[in-house]
Amino acid sequence: MMLARFADNAFWMGRYMERAESLSRLLMVTESFAADQESDEAWEPILSVFSDTENYAERGRPLTALNVARFYLTDASNPNSVISAASMMKENARALRHLLSTESWRQVSMFHASIVNLQKRRFALSRLSEICSAIRDGCFTLRGVLDATCFRDEVWRFNQLGAAVERADQVTRLIDIKYYRFDRDDDDQAAPPDVAWWNTLLRSASGYHAFQRRHSFNADPADAARFLICDRHLPLSVTNAAEAAFYQLTRLREDYDARPGPQIDRAAAALKARLAEPPARLSGRSLHRYLDQIQREIIALANALNDRYFSPA
Amino acid sequence: MTKKDAFQGYDPGDNFCEIFGPAGEKPVTNPLAKRLAKYNTRTLNQRNSAAERELQNLGITFTVYSDSGAIDRILPFDPIPRQISQSDWRKIETGCRQRVTALNAFLTDIYGKQKILNDGVIPKDLVLGNKNFRKEMVGVKLPHNTYTHISGVDLIRDENGEFLVLEDNCRSPSGVSYVIENRHLMMRSFPDLMEGVKIMPVSDYGKRLRGMLIETSPPRIQDPTIVLLTPGVFNSAYFEHVFLAREMGVPLVEGRDLVVDENDRVFIKTISGLERVHMIYRRIDDDFLDPEMFNKESMLGVPGLMRSLKAGKVAIANAVGTGVADDKAVYAYMPRIIEYYLGEEAVLNNVHTYICREKDDLAYVLEHLSELVVKPVGESGGYGIVIGPKATKAELTALRRVLKRNPANYIAQPMIRLSVSPTLTKAGLRARHVDLRPFVLTGKEPWVLPGGLTRVAMREGSIIVNSSQGGGSKDTWVMR
Repeated sequence: MMLARFADNAFWMGRYMERAESLSRLLMVTESFAADQESDEAWEPILSVFSDTENYAERGRPLTALNVARFYLTDASNPNSVISAASMMKENARALRHLLSTESWRQVSMFHASIVNLQKRRFALSRLSEICSAIRDGCFTLRGVLDATCFRDEVWRFNQLGAAVERADQVTRLIDIKYYRFDRDDDDQAAPPDVAWWNTLLRSASGYHAFQRRHSFNADPADAARFLICDRHLPLSVTNAAEAAFYQLTRLREDYDARPGPQIDRAAAALKARLAEPPARLSGRSLHRYLDQIQREIIALANALNDRYFSPA
Repeated sequence: MTKKDAFQGYDPGDNFCEIFGPAGEKPVTNPLAKRLAKYNTRTLNQRNSAAERELQNLGITFTVYSDSGAIDRILPFDPIPRQISQSDWRKIETGCRQRVTALNAFLTDIYGKQKILNDGVIPKDLVLGNKNFRKEMVGVKLPHNTYTHISGVDLIRDENGEFLVLEDNCRSPSGVSYVIENRHLMMRSFPDLMEGVKIMPVSDYGKRLRGMLIETSPPRIQDPTIVLLTPGVFNSAYFEHVFLAREMGVPLVEGRDLVVDENDRVFIKTISGLERVHMIYRRIDDDFLDPEMFNKESMLGVPGLMRSLKAGKVAIANAVGTGVADDKAVYAYMPRIIEYYLGEEAVLNNVHTYICREKDDLAYVLEHLSELVVKPVGESGGYGIVIGPKATKAELTALRRVLKRNPANYIAQPMIRLSVSPTLTKAGLRARHVDLRPFVLTGKEPWVLPGGLTRVAMREGSIIVNSSQGGGSKDTWVMR
């Protein structure tokens, strides 16, 4: 017996948990590249990828590395910041608290407190990478505690489903920071990112070494894109995340008599098909369009989940 | 006592001390005191800080919401336990059972034949005109005639060590989660203090509570579905709701998760559709329970719940309308109520109470204002209380004015001295006032949890122990 509201809370707890982690990853990647550049231009793409350009401009602050980093880390008025994700995760967990292990709630609280702590003092850009890596460690610990202590009931299924959906979505955005520009017709000449950028991306997705084992030394950036999107074995690939989501749907269907229904089945099938058939050319505009299509399929799946499970008649 | 021990400077004054006994007599030798004397103040404080940090991390907290977000705070915890001897406990247990039995008989009567009113034992208007009397409940039959399923009886101890009832709580008494969590915390943080001490366990409260709720579910239901209804995460007792739902293994629901159909059946909205609910342990006040019947604006309740209750298709604990029984005005009549229904004298005495609606009592109260504690009826949480000996002239003048204008709204009691218990401060163990709230569960029969919430006024000399006003709590050991 699972309340629709608890399913909703568990799903969003999972999404926000994953979002905090992804945001810190994105900041790390941006920072490691911006470091060799003279200007702060490297920080603009994050705003575009999250459609936050206007939201940011409203604050009237110059576009500097530090300002953008703070906007995504500690600005509680930005709904898409690590602090907001951590707070939303905690509030969703709070509503579910009687169904979580005590260890889980303890870790959620401690993680949240550590992020709140960041707000107390303005940090320098030189500490950004250290801070982001501490946030990721906190996320890993939390995931580990959940995995080690949570009863495998519907709450767990929806939590993992939410985390998987968010992960799939966020990885597409991570790649898109260098490709969204290809959407602009006048900007087709933009230089594609080089091998160094892809290596950083692979490292941030914990996939660099695995990629080296799978591919010859002169691998192409398109191979890296394919690896991050389509490889089934990389925990942070879009495909791996999507399959994790499909697995949870199967468990809900088979173990809990909570049939996903036709709308979800259709959305899941569409996403699966999309991932199984990447375009021949995984670069430039073609890659950006592909990422965009994947994002749309993920949104359709999330909407279907909402209609079926979280909004009871 | 060694030089640096924590009792250095401890002085209970002329109060009854929970460890050393009555003032002016030779202190009782107490094995716990001996053990405590081995610690120095610094060690105790260090371990207490660690314990409080753990409370924060575990989220044994109440939440304060402000513009800057949710802040989780802990109730101050005092690591020096309060002990209750076997013989004291036997009296408390018998007294609480008696009292709750009488309260349920009283509620059954006033929502039934109203014999006690017709016999003139208690003024009619005091009951029927009480804002907590729910006329909607008249004639409604409840399983086992249980109205107050979960009750808290607030006790204090006077300077002679006699336990007196200060207040009954028949609506949604809270604090039981602290009784159990304080014990867990002591076991983790001070195992050496507890080693070999024989204490009655409190950990099966959740099981008992669930058993009692099954017992009082509508009859002829094999495996009733129970839910705990909370006002939501913004409620200050939300942790307790989480705790109890978890201990019983039942869903913690909000009003919006429930729905009543046209056949007066209650359902919860699950991911597999609607499922029937039979018993609701609610932690929402009567006023907000059912917008069809009471406060129309309530967003917390469930429209139609009263229909379902009246049709006998759902049970609600505590029943609607119990607030009339724990009203401060009715409290004054409790010794007579016990006598009336049970033919027994009260095992636990009331604190002597002047009923300001009665002429002689009012005259006495007005004459002795500066010695008395005056309490508005129909309030809880320590609000509106004026403590005569501590009030300013201006406060007393204002009080005199409202008393004359609306005497029926007040009762008065002599200034009672609450007993003290050694309590940890930065300077060492100091005497602080305490009270005790045992919890009583009533299905067919009442059962008293062998323990209770000991609340402690953390400020020197203060007798206000309410958690809403800065009180803390202690683990309470009923010895066996």
